[in-house]
Amino acid sequence: MAIRTHLPRLRPLSKRIALPILRPYHSYDHPPPPGPFTPTESSILSAAIPHIPSHGFTHTTLSLGTKDAGYIDASTNLFPNGTFSLVHYHLYTQRLALAKHEHILSPALKEREKVPGVGWKVKALTWERLMANREIIHRWQEALAFMAQPSHMPTAISELSSLSDEIWFLSGDTSVDTSWYMKRASLSAIYAATELFMTTDKSPDFIDTREFLNRRFKDVQIVGGTMGNVAQWAGFTAHAGLNVLRSKGVRI
Amino acid sequence: MALYACSKRASYLVAHLPVYDFLAPSLLQAPRASHQIRRLNVTKRCFTAAGSSGNQSTSPSQPSRTPKSGPDAASNPAPLNKPLTQAQRDFLTSALRVNQAGELAATLIYTAQTPPIVSSHPHLRPLMKHMYDQEAAHFSTFNSLMAKHRIRPTAMYPVWTLAASALGWGTAIMGREAAMACTEAVETEIGGHYNGQVRVLLEMAEQMEKDGEEIGGELRELIDTIRRIRDEELEHLDHAVENDAKQAVPYELLTGVIRAGCRGAIWVSERV
Amino acid sequence: MASRSVFRSLWRASKLHPLPTRAPRCFSNSTRLAESPTQPSNHEKTTHFGFETVPEAEKESRVAGVFSNVAASYDTMNDFMSLGIHRLWKDHFVRSLNPGSSSTVDSPGWKMLDIAGGTGDIAFRLLDHATDINNSPSSTIIISDINPSMLAEGKKRSLATSYANSPRLSFLVANAEDLNTIESNSVDLYTVAFGIRNFTNKEKALREAYRVLKPGGVFACLEFSGVTNSLFDAVYKRWSFSAIPLIGQLVAGDRASYQYLVESIEKFPKQEEFRDMIKDAGFMVPGKGWEDLTGGIAAIHKGIKPVEKP
Repeated sequence: MAIRTHLPRLRPLSKRIALPILRPYHSYDHPPPPGPFTPTESSILSAAIPHIPSHGFTHTTLSLGTKDAGYIDASTNLFPNGTFSLVHYHLYTQRLALAKHEHILSPALKEREKVPGVGWKVKALTWERLMANREIIHRWQEALAFMAQPSHMPTAISELSSLSDEIWFLSGDTSVDTSWYMKRASLSAIYAATELFMTTDKSPDFIDTREFLNRRFKDVQIVGGTMGNVAQWAGFTAHAGLNVLRSKGVRI
Repeated sequence: MALYACSKRASYLVAHLPVYDFLAPSLLQAPRASHQIRRLNVTKRCFTAAGSSGNQSTSPSQPSRTPKSGPDAASNPAPLNKPLTQAQRDFLTSALRVNQAGELAATLIYTAQTPPIVSSHPHLRPLMKHMYDQEAAHFSTFNSLMAKHRIRPTAMYPVWTLAASALGWGTAIMGREAAMACTEAVETEIGGHYNGQVRVLLEMAEQMEKDGEEIGGELRELIDTIRRIRDEELEHLDHAVENDAKQAVPYELLTGVIRAGCRGAIWVSERV
Repeated sequence: MASRSVFRSLWRASKLHPLPTRAPRCFSNSTRLAESPTQPSNHEKTTHFGFETVPEAEKESRVAGVFSNVAASYDTMNDFMSLGIHRLWKDHFVRSLNPGSSSTVDSPGWKMLDIAGGTGDIAFRLLDHATDINNSPSSTIIISDINPSMLAEGKKRSLATSYANSPRLSFLVANAEDLNTIESNSVDLYTVAFGIRNFTNKEKALREAYRVLKPGGVFACLEFSGVTNSLFDAVYKRWSFSAIPLIGQLVAGDRASYQYLVESIEKFPKQEEFRDMIKDAGFMVPGKGWEDLTGGIAAIHKGIKPVEKP
């Protein structure tokens, strides 16, 4: 019955899916599982990343990376996804690098300053992640083109949702109800839109992108607030009606 | 929400009423309930025996530790810490997700059941409050575990909210016995479900010990927490039976349907 | 009604192991037919020749016999075996390898080695890709085969290309298990297409491949493999064992060679097993180690020789 169903379930549910697992159990005692890249792949890709501003997301960049890491041109065959591995590696490493922003996660407070809330941290971390693209933003449209290919789209979407989850978690979000989904979905949409806007932004220090981001956050706040009010109103009305009936003696 | 406000009011009133000793109803209903309690104690012992037989193979539990955060774990490094396997992580994820969904449903069932039952049977108020309080504590325990371990809550959250409220309200309207039968059915399923989880976790712990790995305070605490919660759920089961759950009129049908529904909800929440 | 009986027969076919033919093998060029024992003696090491078990020493000559027979009609044979799709497979194989690619304009080009590539199918494609697409006129290739008739066919075909009598293309008669004329750590790309299943000792060939490749060099193998979908597998096996030897009989007058070819596909290790053999030889495999083609009828296996860290 219920007991029997659990025992054979130590087979991984995700055996058939080649995707990186979206919602892993995050353990504090045990080290995290190995990422999507082997040590060799990581060494080649990390050597290739500095060449992206000059050569873009192309096979040449990958070749330069293999050369720098001590391999030969033929070693680019190590990557079954070819040049998309560069995009994937960039997304993966920049997502993990978010945890290093100590000045956002545990800010040193001056006297009588308020502790920054979750919302402030989310906005700050999103901006940091966008700025991590600034070196390669002139090449980012090539990466977006790669991500739009049907064979690569699942990985791209999975990375986007992992990024959104990472930002919320690092900001200290502890919601575990339906708002969990709403928060991550809205942040994913905001981030994707802003990233796309940033590829065409030529303003100094990306001021226009900053304003764009603030406007998107404000929109979400308004929508979220309105929906919350509607839900609250509906709940109160229903409950009030129920109580009125009970006061009239209806046994419900 | 508003539902919680209602129960808060109820709890305020309860605090000012004499507390009935619902924890020992056998004193009030000794002859009828005795063989039922004996049967229940047997089943309870079966559950705990299954858990404890697995326990004998593990090392004696250490004194209770506070939840280990990252820095704490780093300062006391355990030998040979390998990452958890994909299967183990999947299991832990879906187990905690289902548990949270289950406790959500339980709190909502009690919240919905309390007003109709208490209005016709005021002496049950302390019992309902006690059970609700325990379920609320379980719910917050699992909520914090989910947030801590970054587990996605079930996407069926709003569906379970509606279903549980409807179930609680519906069975309460049918009468006290039906409400108690509903509690009995749900707690039986949940008790068995938690028992299965404890069994798998103990197997996991045994396997890790055999491989020479350190199990870690996290997993040990999880096992203890689920054990404790399982025992409390079974206690609710006993209360329900002592309050004439078996007297409900369409007993077989009611409990059958509710148990099947629970199993279906568990299956769905594990995956979605 | 009729469909049910068709399904039942297909299902039975998937369970059946087709019996090896007992028809005499007509190896007109083989001199050892009269001496070949039907039962190998107990103290010799044996291997499989299709579904037959033969002493290891004998397999080489029997394979030689098969290929000498089919050399002239190799392409026709492949067309029948794969309904013409083998051309697409070979094109995809070469494209995915991207030979001749480089980060600099004046690179020395790739040194490639095509094993069991007598007729030059893969070699010419590799050179074309390197020259036309990757602008690498200094990439070279050695075509190696154990069978001189196949190599002669390749030489004949090279005359129609621009590589005939150029230093970019050379031919070598050699056993893949012992490439003693090729230096260690000298080859960028080692390819073997539809050849490795005929080797007597695949592990030895893999170790030789490991030896001749440069650190970072690529071992690539295109070979028939296991169909992943069981229903499709049943249909495919039925086709292979019934239709192909018959077509060989009708078209080339050589049923036995085609029977051998089909049986050797069946005996070849499937995807995971072959990937593990490649790893055991010391290679790193990309991703899961292989790529299925046309539902698993063929598969491309790749391995990269690791670089020693200082």
